Amino acid sequence: MGRSLALVVASTALIMSASTKLQGAETVWSGLVIAENVPQPEPIPPELTRIERSLKKLFGYNQFQVIGQSRKTLNTGQEDWLATSKFFGLHVDARGESEAGYVLNLKLYKEKELLLETDTKLSKRSPLVIKGPQIGSGQLLLVLVVQ
Amino acid sequence: MRTFEEKWTAWLDGKLSGRELTEFEASLPDKAAAEAEKADAKKLGTLLKREIGTYDLANEEFFSRQLREKIVRESTRRSRKRDSAVATWWTVRRLLWTGTASLAVFLVFAIFVMHDKNPAEQSQYLTQILNARVDSVVSPNATISMFEAKEDRVTVLWTEGLQSLPADYAAK
Repeated sequence: MGRSLALVVASTALIMSASTKLQGAETVWSGLVIAENVPQPEPIPPELTRIERSLKKLFGYNQFQVIGQSRKTLNTGQEDWLATSKFFGLHVDARGESEAGYVLNLKLYKEKELLLETDTKLSKRSPLVIKGPQIGSGQLLLVLVVQ
Repeated sequence: MRTFEEKWTAWLDGKLSGRELTEFEASLPDKAAAEAEKADAKKLGTLLKREIGTYDLANEEFFSRQLREKIVRESTRRSRKRDSAVATWWTVRRLLWTGTASLAVFLVFAIFVMHDKNPAEQSQYLTQILNARVDSVVSPNATISMFEAKEDRVTVLWTEGLQSLPADYAAK
């Protein structure tokens, strides 16, 4: 009897702790991606696998290469970080966390020149893709994913 | 000196004896008929005794009272039995078990219902673009739009007319 009761209490505690863990710290992957059409496309980077179908369908390119990236674990939801390539910089400033996701301010720089700024509420379940400027025959894309 | 009727009654009751009995029986005009009448009287007496006794028992009030008492006794006994049965089933141990099990079921349901609630409120859980702007000096003809690709839950900020750059800018 006592043993069974302890088992029930332990299971309940386990379920509760698992549920709490689901709400814990998460990592945001931010990437600068060049989309191009090439005869021999390279495999898509693993960070983009889950949205590969949408990327190809929406932008019409067959190759996606990461030219700059950053992976940031958010603890307070107030952190900021930078993903950079040789000429571009994506500054991400987290301004709070809600049950649905994170409020972010994004700024895309070409060297020191601000090209684009946006405020978003990034959902933990929904990636964000921003279409940047045309670069040669390809396209610059900014991708943010909560992992 | 007793009259004939008194002697007749005593004879019927079997209370005459000795000379008085002999003289009385000798005075009877038809002894066989008298004996038959005596036998009938005895039967009647027996019958009356029995019936009178039954009458006493068949008294309406007496039976009603007895019946009521019996019903009360039976009801009390049954309710005691029922009470004792209930008290036996809900032991402290069973109450504790039932409480714990109910709490566990509630928690499991609460957690799973909360998690399952998310797909139903999908729109709230898609990334939202609150605002966006481009440098109008560098890209004066730029336009911005936004939409959602439902299949992968991707939110897209779509820009048009941004300044195009040479391929060198694709360097890592």
